[in-house]
Amino acid sequence: MTSTIEVHNLTKRFGKVVAVNDVSFSVAENKIYGLLGRNGAGKTTLMQLLTGQEFASEGTISLFGQAPVENAKVLQNTCFIKESQRYPEDFRPKDVFKTAPWFFANWDEEFADRLIADFRLPLDRRIKKLSRGQLSSIGVIVGLASRAPLTFFDEPYLGLDAVARHIFYDRLLEDYANHPRTVILSTHLIDEVSNLLEHVLVIDDGKLLINEDAETLRNRATNVVGMKTAVAAFVGTRTVLHRDGIGGLSSVTVAGLSESESRDAKAAGLELSPVSLQQLIIQLTSNETTEFEASA
Amino acid sequence: MTTTTRALAHPASPLKRITSVAKLHFANPWTTLGLPWIILGTIFVLSLTVWGLIYWAASPAARTNVLDGMEYGGSSLFIFVYMMVVAIQAISITFPFALGYGVTRRDYYLGSSLAFVILAVIYTTGLTILAAIEKATNGWGMGGTMFAPIYFGDSALERVYVEFVLFLFFLFFGAAIATVWVRWKASGVVVFFIVVGAFLVALIALATFTESWGAVGESLVSLGIVGVVSWSLVITAISAVSGFVLLRGATPRNAV
Repeated sequence: MTSTIEVHNLTKRFGKVVAVNDVSFSVAENKIYGLLGRNGAGKTTLMQLLTGQEFASEGTISLFGQAPVENAKVLQNTCFIKESQRYPEDFRPKDVFKTAPWFFANWDEEFADRLIADFRLPLDRRIKKLSRGQLSSIGVIVGLASRAPLTFFDEPYLGLDAVARHIFYDRLLEDYANHPRTVILSTHLIDEVSNLLEHVLVIDDGKLLINEDAETLRNRATNVVGMKTAVAAFVGTRTVLHRDGIGGLSSVTVAGLSESESRDAKAAGLELSPVSLQQLIIQLTSNETTEFEASA
Repeated sequence: MTTTTRALAHPASPLKRITSVAKLHFANPWTTLGLPWIILGTIFVLSLTVWGLIYWAASPAARTNVLDGMEYGGSSLFIFVYMMVVAIQAISITFPFALGYGVTRRDYYLGSSLAFVILAVIYTTGLTILAAIEKATNGWGMGGTMFAPIYFGDSALERVYVEFVLFLFFLFFGAAIATVWVRWKASGVVVFFIVVGAFLVALIALATFTESWGAVGESLVSLGIVGVVSWSLVITAISAVSGFVLLRGATPRNAV
């Protein structure tokens, strides 16, 4: 397994604002990564740095073993679909799909046509007359049909309805299975994509908070529900990520439990349930973060 | 594994990458070709109407006089200045788009420059053909002058040179402005025009205080249109190079 991206001590400052703060990680080839985090956490800046659109203040980036900035050899293997990707105003969707193959060696026209039909995208309407969702579907189609070895989707589905989003997930998985490539998907809709992701990067306030296999991450926390006293007794001095209670009932999210601990909990009459990726990340990126990290 | 290796092993040649960017500017030719010709066509139709009115209003005796006066017409000048707008639009519209396609700034700028030279060729050819028709029909039958005004030179060859060089000037000056816009947005363009304005005022002041306006006038006359236009190539070259340098440091942003 080789790594497609290697990042060492990457920092990006805009004046006094530190958008990306001393981040190091690597991205394995042919995996789907989730880049998650709150608005303004630094996700877009990070992706712009990776694709050579922004210049790093400090640190190094290597894509396919080379620095990406102004490196045509590397960049022609990337496709970066941004949240509010702008298209030339006078373009029609068909102009976008006509020009894309000039830049993407692996472009698959048949696949693009199929996606156009899936998303019911009008080809002849001018870009400025398209709805937000239709604009987003252009980006999604380009991102998928380009089959770039390294594809970035930055919140690609602004304005897309649930059906269209699921078409995107389905087509991505399907095509990824036949044509493996590295995909980095940044999104707020964590639960929707949680089954898609193989690896999760969580960035908060410019810092890389989590860099973990998605499966491991899902097992990192458990909800313990039961009578207040029983829960309190079981939790003891464990790190609590989240606490809820109604009357005599209590629900507590604790850091991952071992198998014997789970058995003990069940024996004590407590109910255990997995924590969704979304819940987990909400809890990690809100204020309890430091507490969790200290124990993790 | 294989996908990556294969794609990396066969990169598109530099020439292909640059021509792809150039083609991008013509993918939907509305901005770069459609609208300018439509505007030019509209001006032409309006001019025809005006010529017609003057021609028929003038008494037959005065017509020679009228014809002489119309040699100075030149509403086609508009198309040159408009090329600046075309260049600004073309770059500000396609730059963030092309970078998302994995194009480097270098390839983007070289490809756009190629597109601008092609545009200059297309427009010069168009004007030359129209000028030839204008001459052959004796000013569209009414002595009108739009495409071959006398200050573009006396011979067709001179006109071709003057027009081509002027198109290049406006396109690359526009490209320089566009890169300032792409890099620093409106505040950058404002500063740019303040600097250009200050520079022009300084030149005027220099000529005034050294009382050299006479000399300036003389040298312009002695240079002739071909000479003056040739000097514009210096500014064109400076614009082209600074556009390249500025764009190399630009980052695509969505904020307008």
